[in-house]
Amino acid sequence: IVGVFFFHLSTHETPPVNQNISTILAAPSSDLSSILSDRVTSRWFLLRWISRRTNSNHISTATISAMPPPAASSRYPSPSQPSGKSEVTDLKSQLRQLAGSRAPGVDDSKRDLFKKVISYMTIGIDVSSVFGEMVMCSATSDIVLKKMCYLYVGNYAKGNPDLSLLTINFLQRDCKDEDPMIRGLALRSLCSLRVPNLVEYLLGPLGSGLKDNNSYVRTIAVTGVLKLYHISASTCIDAEFPATLKSLMLHDSDAQVVANCLAALQEIWSLEASHSEEACREKESLLSKPLIYYFLNRIKEFNEWAQCLILELAVKYVPSDSNDIFDIMNLLEDRLQHANGAVVLATVKVFLQLTLSMTDVHQQVYERIKSPLLTLVSSGSPEQSYAILSHLHLLVVRAPFIFASDYKHFYCQYNEPSYVKKLKLEMLTAIANESNTYEIVTELCEYAANVDIEIARESIRAVGKIALQQYDVNAIVDRLLQFLEMEKDYVTAETLVLVKDLLRKHPQWSHDCISVVGGISSKNIQEPKAKAALIWMLGEYAQDMSDAPYILENLIENWEEEHSAEVRLHLLTAAMKCFFKRAPETQKALGIALAAGIADFHQDVHDRALFYYRVLQYDVHVAERVVSPPQQAVSAFADTQSSEIKDRIFDEFNSLSVIYQKPSYIFTDKEHRGPFEFSDELGSTSITPEVSSDIVPAQQFEANDKDLLLSTDEKDDNKGLSSNNGSAYTAPYESSNISSQMQELAISGPAASATTTQSSFDFDDLLGLGLSTAPAPTPSPPLLKLNARAALDPRAFQQKWRQLPISLSQEYSVNPQGIAALTVPQSLIKHMQSHSIHCIASGGQSPNFKFFFFAQKEAEPLDYLTECIINSSSAKAQIKVKADEQSTSQAFATVFETALSKFGMP
Amino acid sequence: MPVAASAIYFLNLRGDVLINRTYRDDVGGNMVDAFRTHIMQTKELGNCPVRQIGGCSFVYMRISNVYIVTVVSSNANVACGFKFVVEAVALFKSYFGGAFDEDAIKNNFVLIYELLDEIMDFGYPQNLSPEILKLYITQEGVRSPFSSKPKDKPVPNATLQVTGAVGWRREGLSYKKNEVFLDIVESVNLLMSSKGNVLRCDVTGKVLMKCFLSGMPDLKLGLNDKIGLEKESEMKSRPAKSGKTIELDDVTFHQCVNLTRFNSEKTVSFVPPDGEFELMKYRITEGVNLPFRVLPTIKELGRTRMEVNVKVKSVFGAKMFALGVVVKIPVPKQTAKTNFQVTSGRAKYNPSIDCLVWKIRKFPGQTESTLSAEIELISTMGEKKSWTRPPIQMEFQVPMFTASGLRVRFLKVWEKSGYNTVEWVRYITKAGSYEIRC
Repeated sequence: IVGVFFFHLSTHETPPVNQNISTILAAPSSDLSSILSDRVTSRWFLLRWISRRTNSNHISTATISAMPPPAASSRYPSPSQPSGKSEVTDLKSQLRQLAGSRAPGVDDSKRDLFKKVISYMTIGIDVSSVFGEMVMCSATSDIVLKKMCYLYVGNYAKGNPDLSLLTINFLQRDCKDEDPMIRGLALRSLCSLRVPNLVEYLLGPLGSGLKDNNSYVRTIAVTGVLKLYHISASTCIDAEFPATLKSLMLHDSDAQVVANCLAALQEIWSLEASHSEEACREKESLLSKPLIYYFLNRIKEFNEWAQCLILELAVKYVPSDSNDIFDIMNLLEDRLQHANGAVVLATVKVFLQLTLSMTDVHQQVYERIKSPLLTLVSSGSPEQSYAILSHLHLLVVRAPFIFASDYKHFYCQYNEPSYVKKLKLEMLTAIANESNTYEIVTELCEYAANVDIEIARESIRAVGKIALQQYDVNAIVDRLLQFLEMEKDYVTAETLVLVKDLLRKHPQWSHDCISVVGGISSKNIQEPKAKAALIWMLGEYAQDMSDAPYILENLIENWEEEHSAEVRLHLLTAAMKCFFKRAPETQKALGIALAAGIADFHQDVHDRALFYYRVLQYDVHVAERVVSPPQQAVSAFADTQSSEIKDRIFDEFNSLSVIYQKPSYIFTDKEHRGPFEFSDELGSTSITPEVSSDIVPAQQFEANDKDLLLSTDEKDDNKGLSSNNGSAYTAPYESSNISSQMQELAISGPAASATTTQSSFDFDDLLGLGLSTAPAPTPSPPLLKLNARAALDPRAFQQKWRQLPISLSQEYSVNPQGIAALTVPQSLIKHMQSHSIHCIASGGQSPNFKFFFFAQKEAEPLDYLTECIINSSSAKAQIKVKADEQSTSQAFATVFETALSKFGMP
Repeated sequence: MPVAASAIYFLNLRGDVLINRTYRDDVGGNMVDAFRTHIMQTKELGNCPVRQIGGCSFVYMRISNVYIVTVVSSNANVACGFKFVVEAVALFKSYFGGAFDEDAIKNNFVLIYELLDEIMDFGYPQNLSPEILKLYITQEGVRSPFSSKPKDKPVPNATLQVTGAVGWRREGLSYKKNEVFLDIVESVNLLMSSKGNVLRCDVTGKVLMKCFLSGMPDLKLGLNDKIGLEKESEMKSRPAKSGKTIELDDVTFHQCVNLTRFNSEKTVSFVPPDGEFELMKYRITEGVNLPFRVLPTIKELGRTRMEVNVKVKSVFGAKMFALGVVVKIPVPKQTAKTNFQVTSGRAKYNPSIDCLVWKIRKFPGQTESTLSAEIELISTMGEKKSWTRPPIQMEFQVPMFTASGLRVRFLKVWEKSGYNTVEWVRYITKAGSYEIRC
C-alpha cells in the first residue's frame, strides 16, 4: 500500500510535495520499516512525519497547491451569507490540532467541527481546502463521525483525485471491519468517490462485498457495482460483475439484494446494449417468462419501492398467450389495494399494457382501476393528486366513459392549488357527455365567478370546449351569453373568443348570439384575441348587426393605436367582408383601412392590405369569392396532438411524459433541446417563431452587406422587401412571391414565416449567390441530386424530426479554415445552402454550434433532415441524419460531408 | 427505472439550501441555483409541482416552510418520486418527534444526511421503514462518545432486519401489558350548492393502530362492510344479520396486511408493526351521514349593507357532541363594521382572511345554532364590483361518530404464547373540506 501510495503521489503531486517524499524516501530505514509494519497507521505516521520535518506553513501550502483551484462551484445562496474564507481557515487549523490527538473527549470536538464543515458544504461554501485535515481526523471509531467524513469525502473526492487517494487506505480497512454496518458504510463511500484512476482499489472490496455473509453489505455492494459501472464501464464489465449480480439476483435470499441487482442490471445492460450484442441478449433475458414469474411470485417479499421496479419490468414483458395475461393479472390484482400510490399506479400500467390487444378485457380493466385511482386523487398531498390527475386525464382521453359517472370527484375545492384545479377542469371537460353536461356546465359556471382570475378563465374556456364537442348546445349557449352579462372584462374577453368558435361550428345560433354580442361596447375589450373575435363577428354578420360598419369605422379610425397585428389583420378582413355586404356604408372605412394597412410596418398586415387592394382592383367579384366565400360550418377543430404522440405518451404511462404531455424523447434526448427551445405551455410543441425569423433577416442582411457580388439593383430589391416600400417591388420577384402569398392568405390568416424563408432562398438562388461561392467542380459528382429550391416550414420540419428515426450518425472533422470561418455562423448556413442544403434553425455559442439542415431530393419530395453540432475547439462536426428514404441517407451524408469539407475554402 | 433521483435538496422559503445530497453525477452542482432562479424567484412557484429546466426535471413539494426538491435527469416515475418524499418526511418526523420544519432540519442535519444515505442509494429508494432504521440509526449516534473501540455495535440482528422478509416488525418484542389501540378517523368532504343540494360528498377514512404486543402476533379485524359480511355469511352458510352494512368504494392497506387473504376471504389479517401505523384507508361515497347542515342566507342590501344569517344544525345522535366547531363565513374585502348575535359560541370578524369566524367549543347533537350579522361596507367609488361569494367553510370533530357508519365488529389477536390483550377502539369524524356555497 505504501508503495502504491508513493507512486501516485510522485506522479501527480507538485514539486514541493515531491521534495517531501524524496526526503521520506531518504529517511533512515528504521522509519520506513515502521511505516511498512504499521500498515494501519501508516498514513497518519507519514503525514505527521512530514509536518515534523517541515514547518507547518510549508505543509499547508503544499497541500493547497496540490489542489486544483477551487472550481466555480463555490456559490453563495444569498449575499447575506458569509463568504466563509476566514471561517474555513479557522476550521482548518482547529482540525489539524485535533488530528493527532487521542485525548478523551476529542471525538466530541471533532464532531462539532465536522458538523460545521458539513454545514458549510451544504450551503455551498467550498470547504475542499480542508480535505487533508478531514482525512487526518477520520481515524475514529465513532460511526457518526465516520459517516460525516464519508459524506465529505464523497462530495469532494471528484475535485481532488490525488487527495482522495489518502482516503482509500482507511476505507479499505473499514471494508474489512467486523461490524457489517461499518463494512457497508465504507464500501458505499468507497464506491461514491467517483475518481476514475482509483477504480482498481474498488475491485477487491466490491468482490468481497458481493460475497459478504451480511445482506446489508451485499445490498450496498450491488449498488456499488452500478456506481463502478458509471465511473468505468470497462472495468466493471471486465471484472465480470454483471454475471455475479445475475447469479445473486437469482439466488440471494434477501429481497433488497435481489431488487438492487435488478435495478443495477437493468441500467447496466440497457447502457451496454447499444454496443454489445451480448448485453442486448442479457437485457432481453430479463424479460423472459421464468424470470418475470420468479419476480412476480415473490413480489410480496419486496418493499414497496422494489415492487415498483418489478412492476415496471413486468410492463415490458410480452405475454405468450391470453392465459399468461390472466395469470399475471391474477397475481397482481391485490397490488391495487396497496397503500403506496406508486405501487398502485405501476400495477395499473401493467394491467393496461397487458390487455392492449384484448378490447373487452381492456374495458374491464378500466372499470377495475377506476376506484383505486379515484382514491389516490383524493388522498395525499396536492402534489400527489396532481401527478395522479395527469394520468387520469390521459386515460380519460382514451376512454371518456370511465369517469363519466364520477364527474363529481373532479369538482374543485375552494382551497386547492391552481395546478390541481386546472387539471380538474380539464378532466371535467374531457368527461362531459350527454348525461352529465348540464351538471358539469353548471359547476363550471360557478368557477367563472372565482376569485382566481386564471381559473375563472380556464373554466369559461372549458365551457366553450364542451360546447364544441357536444351536439346539443342549447343550454350552453345561454350560459355563455350570461357570461357576457357579468360585465367582467376577462369574462367577456374569454366568452367572445368562445362565441366566435361556437358560431364557426354552429352557425345556426348566430341570431341569438349576435343580438347579445351587438350590445357589447368594443371599447371595453382590450385583449387582442377577444377584440379579433369581435371584429370577426362584425365582419361575418355585418348583415345582422345594424351598426357593424360604424363600429368597424370607429376601430379603423384608431388604427394607429391598435398594437396587435392580429387585430389589424382581422380589421382588414372584416372591413372587406362588410364591404361586400353593405358596400355604401363601408366603402370609406375600407379605403382608410387599406391605406393604413399598406403603410403598416408589420409585414403581414402590409401584405394582406396590398393583396386585398390588388384583388379588388382586378375584379370585385373575384375578391368576394376569395375573401368572403359562403360559410361552411367547421365540423371538427383540429386536435393539437397527433394520435401517434398520444400513443407514445400512453406507452410511457407512470412517468414524466404524462405530466409534460409529451413523449420522453422530447425532453430527455439532448438533441431535441438546443435551438428548439420548447415552450413550457402544455402540449405546445411548436418551434417558437423567433428561431426561424431570427435567422432569415440575418441572412438577408448578410447578403446585403457582405456579399460584394450583389449588384446594386438587386440590393435595392432586397431592401425594398424589408422596408415596406411597395414601389420597389420588381416584376419577377413579385409574381413569384405574391402568388404564394395569395395561397397563403386564402388558407390561413397570418402568413407563415415559411413563405419568407422560402422566398429568401429562392431569391438568393436567383442572384446566383450559391454558384459564386460554390467550389470548383467536385472530383466525383455526388450520386444524389438535391433540389436547390427545397422548402419546408419549421413546423413540418419539427414534426418530421420527431417521427423519423435516426438513420445515420457520423462525426467529421472540420478543416481549420472552416473553423475560422465559423466565427460568423451565418456563413456556414450560406455555404451549405449553395450545396442545396438549407438551414432551418441554428444556435449556440463558441465553441459549440448547432444547426438543423434540411434538403430535398431532386424531383422527388423526399426530405433529408440533419442535425449538425460543430465544436470549434475540437474541430469536429457530429451529424445525425433522418431521411424519408433510408437507403439514400448514406449518399446524402456524403454530399453533406463534401459540402462541409469545402467550408471556408476559398 | 422507478426513480433514479440524481439529487435531493431541502430549501427554506428564501431559497437557502438546508440539505444538499447529490446521488448521481448526471446533474450539475448548480441545480439548486437553477431551481432558485427559474422557479423560486418567479411566479412559477406553486404553479406546478413538476418543472423542467435544461435537461432536468424538478419534482418539488412544500412541507411547512421547507421545499423538498428532487432532481431527475431521466423520464422518472413522478408518483413514486412524490411518495418517496412524503414517506421520507414521515420518517424524519418520527425521528424528531412531530415537527418537520426549517429549524428541525437545521438542528438535525447530520441525522438527515445519515438517513438520506440509508433510504436512497445511487438514486434508488431503499428501506424507509422507521421501525427498522431506528435499530441502527439513532438520534444520539453511538451510545458512548468516549469509547475508542467499536464495542457498542448495533443490535446484532439489526442489519439482518434491515432487509428481512417481515421488514416491518422485529422479533423478540416483549410487553408487560399487551394493548392494541384502534382509531377510526374519518374526514367528510362536502360541497353543497347555495340551494342546499349536495353537489359532492364523500368520506375518506383511516384506520390507525397503536400496537404494544409481545412476540409475533396475528391480528384479524372485522368491520361491518358489506362485502366482508356477505363473504362471512356465505362461508358460515347462514344468512347475514340484518343491520347497517357499509359499502366501501375502495380500500388500501398497509404492507403488513395479507392482501391475498383479503381478496379471497375478505378478512383483514396481519402481523402488525410495533407502535403506531396506518392499517388501512378507505373511501366511501354512498350513504354518508352528514354531521352538520348549514343554511345560510346572505342578503345584499344596497351598496353598503349586508345581512348574513347562518343556521347550523347538528344531525348526529343527541348523546354525542361535536368539538372545536368553527364556521368561517366570508364577507367582502371592504367590510367596515360588523354587528352580530349568536345563540351559542363566539364570533369575530377576521379581516386578514375576510371572514366572520364563529367558534363553538362544544356542539351537542340534534340542536341548532344561529348567527345573524349585519355588515356595513365601505362604499367604493367607481364601477360596481360584484363580490364573488366564496363558500362557507366548516371545521369540526365529532368523537364516537362515523359519517360512513363504519363499525369495528371484532379485533382478534392471536399469538403462540396465548397472552391476553386489551383492545381499545375509538371513532372520530372530522371535517375535510366542508364547503357550503352561499
